[in-house]
Amino acid sequence: MSKRVPLLAGTVVLIAGFSLSMLLADYHLRLLNLAAISAIAVIGLNFAFGYAGLISLGHAAFVGTGAYGVALLTTLFAWSPWLALPVAVAGTAVLAMFIGIPLLRLKGHYLALATLGFNVSFSIVAANWIEVTGGTNGISRIPELQIAGHALANERSYLWFASLVLALLAAVATLIHGSRHGRAMIAVRDDETASSMTGIDVTRVKLVAFVLSAVYAAVAGGLFAFHMRFISPEDFGYAHSITYLAMLVVGGEGSILGALLGSLLVTFLPEWLRFLGSAYLAFFGLFVLAILIFLPSGFAGIRRQGSFRRHGRIKMPALIAASKEARS
Amino acid sequence: MTDLIQLLINGLALGSVYALAAIGFVIVYSATGVVNFAAGQFVMFGTFAGVAMLLNAQLPWPVGYGAALIAMALFGALFFAVLYLPLRASPVVTIIIGTVAIGITMQNAALLAFGSWPFRLPSPVEGINLTIAGATISAHAVAVVIVTALMVVLLWLLFFRTSLGIGMRAVAQDVKAARLMGLKVNRLLALSWILAALLAGIAGLMLGPMWFADTSMGDPIALKAFAATIIGGFGSLPGAIVGGLFVGLSEVLGASYVSSAYKDLISFGIMILFLLLRPQGVFGERIQDRG
Repeated sequence: MSKRVPLLAGTVVLIAGFSLSMLLADYHLRLLNLAAISAIAVIGLNFAFGYAGLISLGHAAFVGTGAYGVALLTTLFAWSPWLALPVAVAGTAVLAMFIGIPLLRLKGHYLALATLGFNVSFSIVAANWIEVTGGTNGISRIPELQIAGHALANERSYLWFASLVLALLAAVATLIHGSRHGRAMIAVRDDETASSMTGIDVTRVKLVAFVLSAVYAAVAGGLFAFHMRFISPEDFGYAHSITYLAMLVVGGEGSILGALLGSLLVTFLPEWLRFLGSAYLAFFGLFVLAILIFLPSGFAGIRRQGSFRRHGRIKMPALIAASKEARS
Repeated sequence: MTDLIQLLINGLALGSVYALAAIGFVIVYSATGVVNFAAGQFVMFGTFAGVAMLLNAQLPWPVGYGAALIAMALFGALFFAVLYLPLRASPVVTIIIGTVAIGITMQNAALLAFGSWPFRLPSPVEGINLTIAGATISAHAVAVVIVTALMVVLLWLLFFRTSLGIGMRAVAQDVKAARLMGLKVNRLLALSWILAALLAGIAGLMLGPMWFADTSMGDPIALKAFAATIIGGFGSLPGAIVGGLFVGLSEVLGASYVSSAYKDLISFGIMILFLLLRPQGVFGERIQDRG
């Protein structure tokens, strides 16, 4: 893959973010901020689920550890947000590694249930460890982010910052996708036995994908905490893990464009379908089911099928590419 | 001591409900390979089918229970047609997300139909208490344990003494071979969904008087049924029973002896331990790595 693609992905996100920030009103900017934050988490989930095929129903718990990390460091210890964010992300990465080492031996629905159990346990602890997490009252008065003395106090300036982070992380994700590591993840998803035969360390690749997904989740969690400036356990329940998964599936799993599209669509869908009122979720479930049945590779997949026909040739499967690298 | 007897019976009653929910989950899983994440919503539908028939339509309980179970059987058939048939060739992950999506729709539909105000579903043995060795126990708890035991016996008879049940087991073991033997595979697969919905319905009707009937009750039940299935062993019917009773007992005993805030952490902690140390559970799955 050419080096231009990540640059292009980042630039598109940036331009879209900046121009939308000029066009839209405050309420829609708020939604756009939430969509950008979700998109970071979903791009992360794409490493684990889209590339490596690890079904995780515990992604919101990693978003939660990132958010609680920055919230606790900034409120309890009065750290600077810029110091708290990397520390919280690193802490989440370590946690993901310790959880991933035993859990990633599981496959399919076993892994789904284990990660679900992890998310539920996280929620129970967050809601009941009142001395630290404030219980269901959550943590308030999280400081706002400041850049060179300017506080990112309104939705517009926050969106500029969030678009920048998203653009950067999307570009990095595109780079990883095109690299040896990205292809190794996809090879592991497609066939574990065959990829271990080509010299891929399956366990390590899975762990890397899982930790990467947690790192992105933690960044999203940190941004969420600084945006809302208040967090509570219900922001990170397993229902949110399901939402992230739905975003990825709707947009198109295994695709960064899909992750972006899905996060935007699922965040704005309730807004566009306001006439449905309280029946929205009933519609949403059927909508996701319809996507699974009629568009199994999501909205991003429509485009991919088109380009596939245009070029008239099959791209080299990840496994073959990986095996060539291992041999050379 | 009397406290302990009371807790044990209540734990067994709650565990019986989880066991029934887990059995329904396991029947569908072994027959169709589908991990039904909407299993908890099935139980919730059962409870609310009871609310609709007994409270809203004011039917006498034998008629109301019958009508509720017929509604559940129809729902099982509908689920088979709308979710399983279109998605059966898809990867397991797609089907999992599909059941999650339908679960969201089910919960929202129940909320729209019944509102967020909880209902109190009466029991046929409402208000009757028994005294066993000095401990006061509600007749409903005892009835739940007895009905569950009865259901287990009936299921055993179905699966091992009728040609219908033997056919269902054959399909669960090998769809292709079953089809070659002339079994009507699709009909038997539909039947396993209907059976699962019926068991969830019975679980829901029995759970109604123990908890408040609330449209958000599905998720906690699903989580307990999953924990029960993992602990007992994925795909094993005796495992579902043992796991269900264990989860129910640990919840009730844990709440009163350890901590009521962390009671659920006990069953999930044990579930995760099982996943890590003995993923095949107490009774083990016949076919490894099936998912």
